[in-house]
Amino acid sequence: MKLSFYQRNADRIRIFFFILVMFIITLPIILGYLWLVLRSFSVDMNGFVPTELTLKNWRFLWTSMKGYPNIWRTTMNTAFVALMVMAIEALLTSMGGYALSRYDFPGRSNLMKFILVLHAFPSVSLMVALYYVLKYLHLLDNLWGIILLKASLEIPWGTWVMKGFYDGIPWEMEWAGLVDGYTRLQVWRKIILPLVKPGIAVTAVFAFLSGWSEFIFINTFIFSQEFWTLSKYVKATIGDFRFADYGLLAAVGLFYAIPTIVLFFLVSKYMIKLTIGGVKG
Amino acid sequence: MPEIRVVDLKKYFGKVKAVDGISFQVKDGEFVALLGPSGCGKTTTLLMLAGIYKPTSGEIWFDDQLMNNVPPRYRGVGMVFQNYALYPHMTVYENIAFPLKAKGMNHDEIDSMVKEITKKLLIDHLLDRKPTQISGGQQQRVALARALVKEPKVLLFDEPLSNLDAKLRMMMRAEIKKLQEDLGITSVYVTHDQAEAMTMASRIAIFNKGKIIQYGTPDEVYNSPNSIFVATFMGNPPMNLIYGMKFKREEGEGVLKLKNISVKLSDYQSKKVEEYGKTENLVLGFRPEDVSITKKEEGNGIWGEVYVLEPLGRDLIVNVKIEGVENLIKVFSDPTKEIREGDRIFLRLKPEALHVFDGETEVTIF
Repeated sequence: MKLSFYQRNADRIRIFFFILVMFIITLPIILGYLWLVLRSFSVDMNGFVPTELTLKNWRFLWTSMKGYPNIWRTTMNTAFVALMVMAIEALLTSMGGYALSRYDFPGRSNLMKFILVLHAFPSVSLMVALYYVLKYLHLLDNLWGIILLKASLEIPWGTWVMKGFYDGIPWEMEWAGLVDGYTRLQVWRKIILPLVKPGIAVTAVFAFLSGWSEFIFINTFIFSQEFWTLSKYVKATIGDFRFADYGLLAAVGLFYAIPTIVLFFLVSKYMIKLTIGGVKG
Repeated sequence: MPEIRVVDLKKYFGKVKAVDGISFQVKDGEFVALLGPSGCGKTTTLLMLAGIYKPTSGEIWFDDQLMNNVPPRYRGVGMVFQNYALYPHMTVYENIAFPLKAKGMNHDEIDSMVKEITKKLLIDHLLDRKPTQISGGQQQRVALARALVKEPKVLLFDEPLSNLDAKLRMMMRAEIKKLQEDLGITSVYVTHDQAEAMTMASRIAIFNKGKIIQYGTPDEVYNSPNSIFVATFMGNPPMNLIYGMKFKREEGEGVLKLKNISVKLSDYQSKKVEEYGKTENLVLGFRPEDVSITKKEEGNGIWGEVYVLEPLGRDLIVNVKIEGVENLIKVFSDPTKEIREGDRIFLRLKPEALHVFDGETEVTIF
């Protein structure tokens, strides 16, 4: 049997073109990151070619810079916000999701529709109202204010995700626990909760990332440099009253992105589950 | 072991009447099967016995204790689920120890009880495995061990064998029956498989549409069904029915007629029909094993034509087409008998094994 070159290699050629197309589509993003990395280690850039290599752009890590707060303090603030948002959200969504999935209470289906609407609501439009609320609660210029805001805006979506995971657990599992001699709360804690761990992981990671990347609330409701987070720090390098230091911007930006990238690789396997079994109403 | 008494039990889910006023008793140590098609309310009834569903109305008694408001953990029941409901994040050992931990037993006691029950059920070599790492039959045994280990006073089974393959199902059927007899635990067993109910239970409650149609021993429900529903639900293949028959007296003898078909009834049977007071729209029923096939007319019976043969090895099912009857009649025959498709044969009916039902109300006349 005589086969042409294309016929003999049909599968390989298809995959080659597939990868080529994907590569072209993602090229702008790849180039963006490439530029960021190169720029952070060079004095100046000639397009994509560094003129001279240097570590000077990373000086913010070891020297205190005029007009900027200490970078480690700022990083700790960012981590604090992200971790607290994560903790509050994981706790509340794992309970709320269970209630939505398992209890048939009046207004349940309306509540679920409302949650979806809430998630789609642009938080920017709440800014003025939130200012007054925070002021009333004495939480302006306070990281707890940001944490509570962020968590409450993320909780509806997280609850929805968790509901999806709870829906995937058969009722019999819960009934078996009740017959085995436990209360509903004990069954939830000892049997159900361990089974929705992937859901909690996904929700927690998204909560962490949303806290980590928060900018608008920080920019609006935080005034003191001691409460800055990294997003505000990056913003400052572009500067309102100083010349933009692109080397510094690149280095700080990269520093800011590292945890996000690490976290993604740690939990990507759970993320995939989210689309397969997680959110199915 | 308690006696279970259920009085006028109802469970409505919104407008759906899942269980609609049932009453029955399970004697101390008895094995009762709740049998019926899917969605007939048998599992709902079981879940009410377990305390998972609360009845809409009615009473559940364990001996002289009203159980309606007792949560599952105080009922002393063990339960085996259709999908086993083993906890996937625990090992086999942890699964079986789980109900004992709820009782606050100490580590050594738990250990010896788990070892004892797993040895009895031949799963003591699987203790370190996770449920996903063992076969369906083994999972079934683990579920059984978990239900038995806490020494329950009542055992509830929800179609425990329906996820197993046919061979394993037959094996476990006998094993569960023996285990129940040995332990003498009052048991309620939900199934849709009439063979399971017949072989295992001492009494069978046949459910349909949220009601108990008949409650009796396997012999009673098989040989004296109280309705067409029970008659056709029990037995495989089910009872043959011929609809639309008329009752007449010909020369003093009672006969059921439909076109060319004419089946004689005994004096006793004829009187029963007359007492019932209906002569039209009667249904004649007879079981596939209560017929013998002959080539010429002998005694009481019906002529038909062989439609198709289904050999089963030990038996032969002959499907017979009868003129004027829509459904095929199934008859058990000896496989050594020479019968070919298309043959005209005479179905000789055993007079004492005939059943007659009211075609409208579907209740048994005799």
